[in-house]
Amino acid sequence: MDANDFLLIGVGGGLGSLLRWQLGRVIDRLLGTAFKFSTLTINLSGALVIAYLSTLLAIGWEHRYGTVVTSLLLTGLLGGYTTFSTMQLDAVQTSRANGHALAVVYLVCSVGGGLLAAAAGVALARSQGVGP
Amino acid sequence: MTTASVLVFVGGGAGAVVRELLVLALGRYSAAFPVDIFAANMLASFLLGLVFGLHQVRRTSDNVALLISTGFCGGMSTFSTFAFGAYSEMASPGEFGLSLLYVIASLVMGYGVTLLGLQTAAQFRRA
Repeated sequence: MDANDFLLIGVGGGLGSLLRWQLGRVIDRLLGTAFKFSTLTINLSGALVIAYLSTLLAIGWEHRYGTVVTSLLLTGLLGGYTTFSTMQLDAVQTSRANGHALAVVYLVCSVGGGLLAAAAGVALARSQGVGP
Repeated sequence: MTTASVLVFVGGGAGAVVRELLVLALGRYSAAFPVDIFAANMLASFLLGLVFGLHQVRRTSDNVALLISTGFCGGMSTFSTFAFGAYSEMASPGEFGLSLLYVIASLVMGYGVTLLGLQTAAQFRRA
């Protein structure tokens, strides 16, 4: 990893974070409920896109830098756009305000949905005749 | 751009770079259980709990909270690689069990360290 990769990851991470922040505010305004649809929507869409693009371009999930696509787009932008920490904070706050059951439902929807979104991204790319 | 946007951009960019420094440092130990992404997600979750909690008790300003919570912690942690990596390894022969362990450990420990961060911050509540 060289200085160029750091720059691309930093710029991508910054842009992805801005996108997450703004989109999250819009979704919270439209669907401001006890269930955090904003983080869920952001994370599931990010998982779908990274799986689709990686499969389309034959890039493994562990390939994180070296090209503009891996450094800027996958590791930087999509990494900054999605968030694991906010998902956990959402779960703790949901548990405190609405009980453990809703928090468990939220985490299961996030992680189960994330795995399904990744599977859907891979399947979508393969249906276009690319990938292994 | 407004001040808030600059804070989110700078924090998010720095967080993403720190995440990749962890990948550089720990990547060689990573396989179906990616300890590098795991470490980035756990550290960011603890820090988010801590800074969010400090902001709630008014020990940090709105701008610092935006820079660290929305920017840095959001940029340092990643859900896309977490989900795609876990799915890829689950679909690989012989890696399902370890990848499932990665998902469960990430969920349980991530929740625990977020709570720990919040509780640590509560100690700083002004008397």
